[in-house]
Amino acid sequence: MTLWFLRGLRRGVVTTRYPARPDASAAALPTPPAFRPEALTRALADRLAAACPSRALARDGDALVFDVGACTACGRCLAEAPGAATSSGEFELAATLPAHLVKRIPLLAGGGAAAPATEGGSP
Amino acid sequence: MTDQRAASRSVPETAAELRRAVTRQFGRSLHIRTLDTGSCAACEQEIRLLAAPHYDLHRLGFFFTPAPRHADLLMVTGPMVRAFDIAARKTYEAMPGPKLVVATGACALGGVYQPDAFTHGGVGETLPVDVWIPGCPPSPLALLQGLLVAVGRLAEKVQDLSFIQNGTPR
Repeated sequence: MTLWFLRGLRRGVVTTRYPARPDASAAALPTPPAFRPEALTRALADRLAAACPSRALARDGDALVFDVGACTACGRCLAEAPGAATSSGEFELAATLPAHLVKRIPLLAGGGAAAPATEGGSP
Repeated sequence: MTDQRAASRSVPETAAELRRAVTRQFGRSLHIRTLDTGSCAACEQEIRLLAAPHYDLHRLGFFFTPAPRHADLLMVTGPMVRAFDIAARKTYEAMPGPKLVVATGACALGGVYQPDAFTHGGVGETLPVDVWIPGCPPSPLALLQGLLVAVGRLAEKVQDLSFIQNGTPR
């Protein structure tokens, strides 16, 4: 608190320059995940969808449907699949249409070895 | 503008004209009324921080007002509980036009609650939302960006994001 006050006195201004300049504190914000398609299998996508508490993730065929608007950046998908999901670092997420917030992420790793019986059985 | 000129314009042209009109009218001074429709108050906490010295939204020409009659923009948080239907409608109708509605936070965007007997599960079906701000809660920076998108001073960014990361495996 004291340091903050003294620094403010020295610099003369404590107000962020955003949006003219990026704000340093933005790097510390919790942000929605970004996914690596080549690490995503159908089984993993199902696991991610089950782990998501706010129904932001769902699997639709060979795509992971990610509703950024529903995401609470809780980090459960990052814990479930550390190799396939990382924090995106994006916080400027305002949209003029809700459809702009729904992203389709292709599952490039295919059916995967974790669930061959269920995925291979259906034509 | 005459009706003939209006009819000869395409939809994108009309949208661009409307966007310019909103920027002209709201770009320098805009009054915000917040509406809590059953949120946990985390969004309110972040909205309150907008007025603190670090974010200081007054420098950008945004102001909070407690009166809907003075407000240009309605900032709605929470999943729109059904008990709030009449109050939400009255607040919206009390605002003078033109007016903007901003849905704030994952609840308002339909992420946290399903529609059931107690809540609509989102703001979209009750009020005509212009801008959607994700986040749980959205940080003051995200709120600032959303407000600037609402008045046309910043372009929407999320439309072009893919949320696909093409990095090397770690």
